[in-house]
Amino acid sequence: MYDALLNERQSRLDKLQAGAVLGLMLVGALFVYSATMVNEAAQLAPLLQQSWFRQLLWYAVGAGGALALCLVDYQTLARWSLVAYGITLVLLLAVLIPGVGSVRYGARRWLDLGFFQFQPSEFAKLAVVLALAHFLSRPREELKTAAVYWKAIGLMLLPFALILKEPDLGSAIVLLPTGLVMMYVAGVPRRFLLRLVGGVGIVMTLFLVDVLFAPPHWQIKLEDYQRRRLQVYFGIRSIPPDATPAERQRLLNEYRDYFHNIRQALISVGSGGLTGKGWRQGTQNALGYLPRAVAHNDFIFSVIAEEKGFVGSVTVLTLYAVVLFTGIRIAGQARDRLGRLLAVGVVTLLFSQVFINIGMNIRLMPVTGVPLPLLSYGGSSVVGSLIAMGLMQNVYRYRKGY
Amino acid sequence: MLIFDQLKKNDPPLRALTLGVLIGLGVLLVGLWWVQIVLARGYQASLETQSFRTVRVPAPRGRILDRHGVALAENRPRFNIGLYLEELSPQFRATYQQARPRQVITNALPAWTRWLGFHTVKTQYVKLNRAESDALQWAVRTAVVSNTVAELATRLQQPVPFDPAQFRRHYQSRRALPYPALVDLAPVQVARFQEQDAGLLAADLEIQSLRVYPFQATAAHVLGYLTSDDTSHPGEEASPSYRLPDYRGLVGIEGGYDAQLRGRAGAKSVLVNILGYRESEVVWSANEPGRNAVLTLDVRMQKAAEQALVRSGVNVRGAAVVMDVRNGDILALASVPAPNPNHFVQGFPPGELAKLNHPTLRPQINRATQEHYAPGSIFKVIVGLACLENGLNPRATYRVQPNPANPGRGIIYVGRRSFRDLASPGDYDFRRALLKSSNAYFIAQGLQVAGIENIVKLGQRLHLGERVNLGTRQETAGVFPSLRQVTGGNWRDGDTANLCLGQGPIAVTPLQMAVMTAAIANGGTVFWPRLVARLEARTDEAGPATAEETFPAARVRNTLGVSDRSLRWLHEAMLADTEDPEGTAYKPFREYYRQPHAWRVCGKTGTAQVMDAHNRLTGHTTWFIAYAPYEAPRYAVVVMVEDGGSGGGTCAPIARDIFTALQRLETGGANGLAYTP
Repeated sequence: MYDALLNERQSRLDKLQAGAVLGLMLVGALFVYSATMVNEAAQLAPLLQQSWFRQLLWYAVGAGGALALCLVDYQTLARWSLVAYGITLVLLLAVLIPGVGSVRYGARRWLDLGFFQFQPSEFAKLAVVLALAHFLSRPREELKTAAVYWKAIGLMLLPFALILKEPDLGSAIVLLPTGLVMMYVAGVPRRFLLRLVGGVGIVMTLFLVDVLFAPPHWQIKLEDYQRRRLQVYFGIRSIPPDATPAERQRLLNEYRDYFHNIRQALISVGSGGLTGKGWRQGTQNALGYLPRAVAHNDFIFSVIAEEKGFVGSVTVLTLYAVVLFTGIRIAGQARDRLGRLLAVGVVTLLFSQVFINIGMNIRLMPVTGVPLPLLSYGGSSVVGSLIAMGLMQNVYRYRKGY
Repeated sequence: MLIFDQLKKNDPPLRALTLGVLIGLGVLLVGLWWVQIVLARGYQASLETQSFRTVRVPAPRGRILDRHGVALAENRPRFNIGLYLEELSPQFRATYQQARPRQVITNALPAWTRWLGFHTVKTQYVKLNRAESDALQWAVRTAVVSNTVAELATRLQQPVPFDPAQFRRHYQSRRALPYPALVDLAPVQVARFQEQDAGLLAADLEIQSLRVYPFQATAAHVLGYLTSDDTSHPGEEASPSYRLPDYRGLVGIEGGYDAQLRGRAGAKSVLVNILGYRESEVVWSANEPGRNAVLTLDVRMQKAAEQALVRSGVNVRGAAVVMDVRNGDILALASVPAPNPNHFVQGFPPGELAKLNHPTLRPQINRATQEHYAPGSIFKVIVGLACLENGLNPRATYRVQPNPANPGRGIIYVGRRSFRDLASPGDYDFRRALLKSSNAYFIAQGLQVAGIENIVKLGQRLHLGERVNLGTRQETAGVFPSLRQVTGGNWRDGDTANLCLGQGPIAVTPLQMAVMTAAIANGGTVFWPRLVARLEARTDEAGPATAEETFPAARVRNTLGVSDRSLRWLHEAMLADTEDPEGTAYKPFREYYRQPHAWRVCGKTGTAQVMDAHNRLTGHTTWFIAYAPYEAPRYAVVVMVEDGGSGGGTCAPIARDIFTALQRLETGGANGLAYTP
């Protein structure tokens, strides 16, 4: 096995992809540093408390995990996929229990492990990809039956519902395109897929109309901030016509507060211009206009775009493009349908997160807490993303013709 | 290439996925290009408006100097202690955390969670709504600042007042600027502050420039005064977020030369964080200091003139002008009473503001240029000159009739009007008529020899009834009849007679009379009076250098166009006014002439009647015009006192005191004429 790893003629590592991933990690460490080292207090904190150093540690942990994953071929791994799926569901349920899951920013998404807040939804995404790939890799004829189709949907919707309950709308939403694309590539008949797309479309539309326009007691129960975010994205100010001036003012203020983040992100990105202000020279983050709590995770792209400008944004996009397209190439070279589906699942998952996160920074998408894979600060997200990269490399390593 | 390889492969699902990813990344690329390239400028502007505050920083005002460079108006540093709110803000935060109300709650947890070590009793913060947390934050901020101010007070060893309302105003409208905890420190406080190393308090000294007039009320009218005004002028940042205190000259040199003295205000921009606290400062346009104005005044002469006026009585209202007869330079331009220009900047002591608006004292009026008065008998010098030029034989005598009602005094009848005389009846030649100020003689000669037209023409050569454009915004043109007016049908001999006595449609300012006196003394040249000699060049490196701007001396406005012979006769007669025992100004100068080397002074007294609206006599405007030394005239002195006794009794002694001072100055005696304020 180790001879083959060193074999030049037939490489067992997709070097281009690995290079792009390394590049993204470098950018991530640099800009997490820039986003958090804004004042003396941050600089005087012990090294272990500093975000950039912790991010480096997570990179190391994630890379180790990915390497370990490569030691066993993905077919063996896939046999354990349902176990992983089950564990994930248990963790997702545990998070929802008050006193076990810890609450931050109004959402119950974390398991407090003392030194580290574990976010199961990040790993649930991976578990769904693994389980779906395993399930959909059965013979093509079976895929044409409705029972298999509904089982696949169920496999996807169970964690979706649990994550939505936390609530973590962003993490839940990325599961939908991932599952859909995997089913499409697996060969689920087109009529089923169209029905699914149509059904999801109708449900989403009804949901949005209900949230945005329905009278209060008809509305689906949503957290207040979620409703605001959606209203801000769609530019709707829900002020009842019979509101008193004081109430109207309060609602306007609330609207402005929720609009603040997205507006400041836009100002950060826009004021970067072509070449940006230089690393650690951005003011939006240093002066606190871009909220400190999100600058280094969900809004890390704003920091990069402000400090490195359009050039920096395009660099980041290019690195992601390399990872995504090498991923699709790996899917094409996969030895079997399982490997192909795994690679496709990871690519779609990655792409959905990149699109939603960067889109949110330029007001293309509503604000949902989706991290930018490999760049945003956060242990669960970083380790999860790196393990996903490891899965892809695993598929490459045991590819066709090997 | 990587992408096209995927698109070319015959693998439809992967080809569709590749296309989808490509389109998605393309959408992001276009979106980023739109935001970062196309709309970049707009977002940069929003960034600036939300994170920069501009501050208008006024320039140090130029000084006003006398002809020898003694400062009449200058700036002194004023020290304030400013608290830096951005350095206090961590303290605000920490104190807020401590002050937040807490509550202890007991959870009824299932038994199994208790085994796992979860506590049933927890202390947690009470959730506050926005109004409550705002109120608490406000209380915390006030407490922190109040404590800091108290700490400052112990270090300075003196109480420092703290007004929460004032702090609140500052916090809400000027948060990016230091909060002025204590203004205008005494030097001892400055020293204490510095040796206490009070920088630990997040406080620092700030220096402001404060206008001061070291000579207090001296030359107050000439200097003018300032008023608070921090608006932007053309060429400066038009709408800064904050303005530091600034002033604008209203009248006097401060007003008339405001643009040159003020310089150009600069601007700095302050980078503020999301909470509105200051992060850093950038000066992006340095201010250009104003230029110094050098006056023709000599502060010692100015003080001498003012003291001579003030010493002549109680609540004297009058003016005195000292002019260099050789070039028209104004050496002193005094008007009493005068306000103290320092009060306009530093505030008025109790009672002073009421005095400022006193209806008869009217200290704000510059009586030397801003108010006009009937000249009375001093105008006889012009009537006399007109007569001499038109064939009057100065040796010929004219007999004045006694007044039947008062046989000791003369009288003259013109048409149906009679003009009484203060001089006795008898024979008068030109010299005796001038030194005794005979009304009858000058009315008779004015009517018969000179004629009204020649008198008016001579007055016009002196530009009576016209402004002299000192640039102090305190000028009146005065009144003088035009040729058309006196040749028209409504002008009677009685009007001419009245004009010959310096009454009727004639009113002059003391400055105009100084120009007249100087013209007589210097042989007939009418100068433009000069008050500002030059605006100094700016030599400091701040701002572009400016060249010195000099206003030429001895600018000739006109000539009297009279012969030397006539002037010599007039000079003789004016000299006799102070030297001849019959002269109206003999008495005040008798003692003066006993001094060795005393200047010989040529003068003329005047006492004009002041009538009210019902043509009743309410008082006299008294005058004395003079120049000296007789042999080589250098100084013209004009003294005017409202409601005085008589020209000889009230004004001539003042003029004599001024001449005494001038002579002492020239010979180097410094007694009472020092530069010190």
